Amino acid sequence: MSFALDGVGLTHANGFTALSDITLRANKGERIALIGPSGAGKTSLLSVLGTALAPTAGVAEILDFGQNLRLTAGLKALRPRIGTIHQAPPIPGRQRVVTAVLAGKLGQWPAWKSLASLLYPLDVAGARATLERLDLADKLFARCDQLSGGQLQRVGIARVLYQQAELILADEPVSALDPALALATARQLAADAEARGATLVASLHAVDLALNCFPRIVGIKAGRIAFDLPAGEVSEALLHDLYASEGQTLPTLANEPRFTTLAAANDPATRAACC
Amino acid sequence: MLLNPAPPRDPAARGRLSGALLALVILWPLFRAAEFKPGALFDSSNLKVIGHFLAGFLPPERGAEFLAYLGKATLETLAIATAGLALACVIAVPLGYLATAAGREQPTLNPLTRSLLTVLRGIPELVWALLFVRIFGLGPAAGVLALGLTYGGMLAKVYAEILESVDPAPAHALRRSGAGRLLAILYGLLPQASKELASYTVYRWECAIRASVVMGFVGAGGLGQLMDQAMKMLNGGEAASILLTFMLLVFAADGVSGWLRRALDTPPAARASPFGWRSISFLLVLPSAVIASFHWLEIDFGELFTAGAAHSIGEFVAGFFPPDLSSDWLARVGLGIWETLAISVVGTLLAAVAGLLLALPKWRAPFSFLLNTLRSVPELVWATITALAVGLGPFAGALALALHTTGVLGRLYAEALDNAPAAPGHALRLAGAPAGLSFLYGTLPGAAPQLIAYTLYRWEMNIRMAAILGFVGAGGLGQLLYFELSLFHHAQASTVIIAMLILSIAVDQTSAWLRQRLR
Amino acid sequence: MTLSATRRLALKGALACAFASAFASSALAADAVLRVSAIPDEAPTELQRKFAPLGKYLEAQTGMKVVFTPVSDYAAVVESLATKKIDLAWLGGFTFVQAKIRTNGTAIPIVQRAEDAVFTSRFITADPTIKALSDLKGKTFAFGAPSSTSGSLMPRFFLQQAGLNPEKDFKNVAFSGAHDATVAFVAAGKAEAGVLNASVWDKLVEQKKVDTDKVHVFATTPPYFDYNWTVRGDLDPALVKKLTDAFLKLDPANPEHKEILGLQRAAKFIPTKKENYEGIEKAAHSAGLLK
Repeated sequence: MSFALDGVGLTHANGFTALSDITLRANKGERIALIGPSGAGKTSLLSVLGTALAPTAGVAEILDFGQNLRLTAGLKALRPRIGTIHQAPPIPGRQRVVTAVLAGKLGQWPAWKSLASLLYPLDVAGARATLERLDLADKLFARCDQLSGGQLQRVGIARVLYQQAELILADEPVSALDPALALATARQLAADAEARGATLVASLHAVDLALNCFPRIVGIKAGRIAFDLPAGEVSEALLHDLYASEGQTLPTLANEPRFTTLAAANDPATRAACC
Repeated sequence: MLLNPAPPRDPAARGRLSGALLALVILWPLFRAAEFKPGALFDSSNLKVIGHFLAGFLPPERGAEFLAYLGKATLETLAIATAGLALACVIAVPLGYLATAAGREQPTLNPLTRSLLTVLRGIPELVWALLFVRIFGLGPAAGVLALGLTYGGMLAKVYAEILESVDPAPAHALRRSGAGRLLAILYGLLPQASKELASYTVYRWECAIRASVVMGFVGAGGLGQLMDQAMKMLNGGEAASILLTFMLLVFAADGVSGWLRRALDTPPAARASPFGWRSISFLLVLPSAVIASFHWLEIDFGELFTAGAAHSIGEFVAGFFPPDLSSDWLARVGLGIWETLAISVVGTLLAAVAGLLLALPKWRAPFSFLLNTLRSVPELVWATITALAVGLGPFAGALALALHTTGVLGRLYAEALDNAPAAPGHALRLAGAPAGLSFLYGTLPGAAPQLIAYTLYRWEMNIRMAAILGFVGAGGLGQLLYFELSLFHHAQASTVIIAMLILSIAVDQTSAWLRQRLR
Repeated sequence: MTLSATRRLALKGALACAFASAFASSALAADAVLRVSAIPDEAPTELQRKFAPLGKYLEAQTGMKVVFTPVSDYAAVVESLATKKIDLAWLGGFTFVQAKIRTNGTAIPIVQRAEDAVFTSRFITADPTIKALSDLKGKTFAFGAPSSTSGSLMPRFFLQQAGLNPEKDFKNVAFSGAHDATVAFVAAGKAEAGVLNASVWDKLVEQKKVDTDKVHVFATTPPYFDYNWTVRGDLDPALVKKLTDAFLKLDPANPEHKEILGLQRAAKFIPTKKENYEGIEKAAHSAGLLK
């Protein structure tokens, strides 16, 4: 088992309830897409899984670790095993790409190595290999403030790939990429998780991408789980119901069914190509 | 698929290595010149001496006669600072307007104004004060004028830079639609910059209060003169009373500054007039404070423009030409330059390290207090204490600079770190990185340009202060200047002043270049 | 019509009166003030205290208001005398020479204390191993103000004659700025040795402001001319005469005068002349303090 949430609720200090009664389990190696309208609670759910926020109700067990206990020593051991891809890449503009990627291992490296790496990057080969998979090897020594938004987002992904986490949490990981690149990048992410047997949970705004790349889809609405189904079983009616508040069109990659349609999403060939 | 070629070497490594070596090659002799010997701090006889002196701080002197002096000196200091800053503003606003590239279609810098500003800033207050003693005789007028000129130069430079740093688009749009440059700045840039301009001006006023200590040296009165005497006589009780008064003043100035910032942040009330009670009371208090200051100090500006005054200035200035350029003297001045540079560099570096360490802790209260205390004690006072702690010489000067600058930088660093984006560090913490490393990898790079800029700006100020510290025995150019001026060796003093000017210009240039490089 | 004309006239008259009186009072004030200062060889507050009874006495003798301006810089007194900002100043031997040069020889020394004709400086230390001037090599040393006669110039001159060059032979040279500050420097260990005017040293010893078990005198200079009261050259000769007489009239037998003399640390005042200070001028040249 990778994680188990049992009746988890999250109420912020200001009284706003972001999550209520979430029960969700995932086995090791599963790949799950979280979909739902903006403000539904996808990011909050990822924050609970990423140990950024402690649930205010229920029990969360993450990588066999009872996270509700908030044991600092335990958290310290747990956190390097979780990799989070943030929607806005949290990377200082003046940092070089290579350093930003290597920072993924800060939780695992001994302190001397991390410190020395600030002076001279100690694993240039590893950083470059990771960047290559995201088609960014040429930016290895560039400074992050010289990158486009899409390139920077992929550096953020590279960092988590380099971290080799057992549980990868991705919050809108490809929102700044053009459709073709978004697909390729999502594929890379999924392939990496699959190859290493890591669990992947990604919140995605583009429904088509979710359906294409993830075997399991969890719909979130108003802080609750609306449905939890294999991709093949997610019907258009369910989706329209989920996104009722956002109008008639379903959110897709740039709202353009360019590389795939909903019908094609269930096509086995596409799905094979995807994941 | 191609095989992975060998991983490339870090192309920046060579540059970093040579940069580090270069820094070492430059810094090592500087530290030597500053007689950097931290061991002296823990020398038992030194500890005894300083302990004895500090023990004398308690109880602070409370005699009625002394308190009367103190009260008068406090008012005088306030008046000097206020009048000096008012004069500085009168000088700075037009000069800043002329010097700034803001609101110009072509970003041409006005070289004439800029070099005038450099001269105004580059010559320490003290030298100006000595010049004005000729015209106004003994008393605070010389101090006011000296502050006015030096701070006028500083304010004008900073005003110009602040106006350049805000978004130029509104002003450009206004100019394109036919507005003149002044109006374009008033309508397009001032609303963005006003808060920073105002708070910098108030900050400078705070500095002016501290600068009055320097003025005390030429008989300009105020708390500075009193402090100078108490410290020279090593009268701990008096020094403690004066210091306490001083800190109260500085904290009060801080409070006023904070109040003004908040006032500037308050959104305007929903009515046609943008002026509320705060603006009105401020507009009433400010001119009356300035007028009261000039009145209290009994300054007669008419005297500045009489033929007699012009004659004595002319004569005085003529005495400085030609400067003594004999090789013997140049060698001594050169040594003084080197020592002054060493004091400023070592002082600033020590302060940067200590300031950063003090800026880091999350629980701010005790550290803010410590930083404010360090900051509110002027360098010259620190120099007296450090001279006891490590003996006379450049290291005492460097330490004194470091102590005061730590207070300034620590506070600025803490603000910069607070304002630096929190997300990168937070994300690293989530990925399991220890707090220290998350800071180094996540937070510090975001704040670094600002930290570096602050440090370098401070260095520019410290080079001027280092030149003055010699007056209390820290060596360097200051000691040479004090000695030669006392003996009316104006040709030699002239060389020293020129050296100070060149040194401060060189430091300004180096600092600007470093800021550019390290951005 | 008539009324308003009269009124206008009255108003004019009043204004004229006001102007006239303003001028008169300012002219009077300018004439009736004797501005005095002194080189700050001791703490300015101390100088002010010492001067107060003398000031009152001079007020009574000259019929002028006497204003004392404390200064913390020697050169400022010389400058002020040269620019006529002050009328009468208490100068050291060397500051007098400086003032003489800066006023093109017009400054006039009027009186000096009997003691000033045979003045000395004392070298002090808290270090028992320093027993003679030659032991000062490699030590930190505190002078008074750079332009002090007894705290800088004459000691430097005599050091030079003893074969010592302060800039080369001492580890560090400091200028404490004043004689009592020099004692504080040495007592606190800020400087290993120092030199000051004998008169201030004796006073501090008398007042027990210095611990003589710790700080002791290890050398004394030969005598030389020092302090005097100097007036600027263009002061009304009648006033100069009045001032000179006032000083010379001070009589230790008179208790009131005795207080003044006591504070000035003078047995009595004696006339003095420029020529008395030629020796100092020569010493200053040879010590390199005058160019």
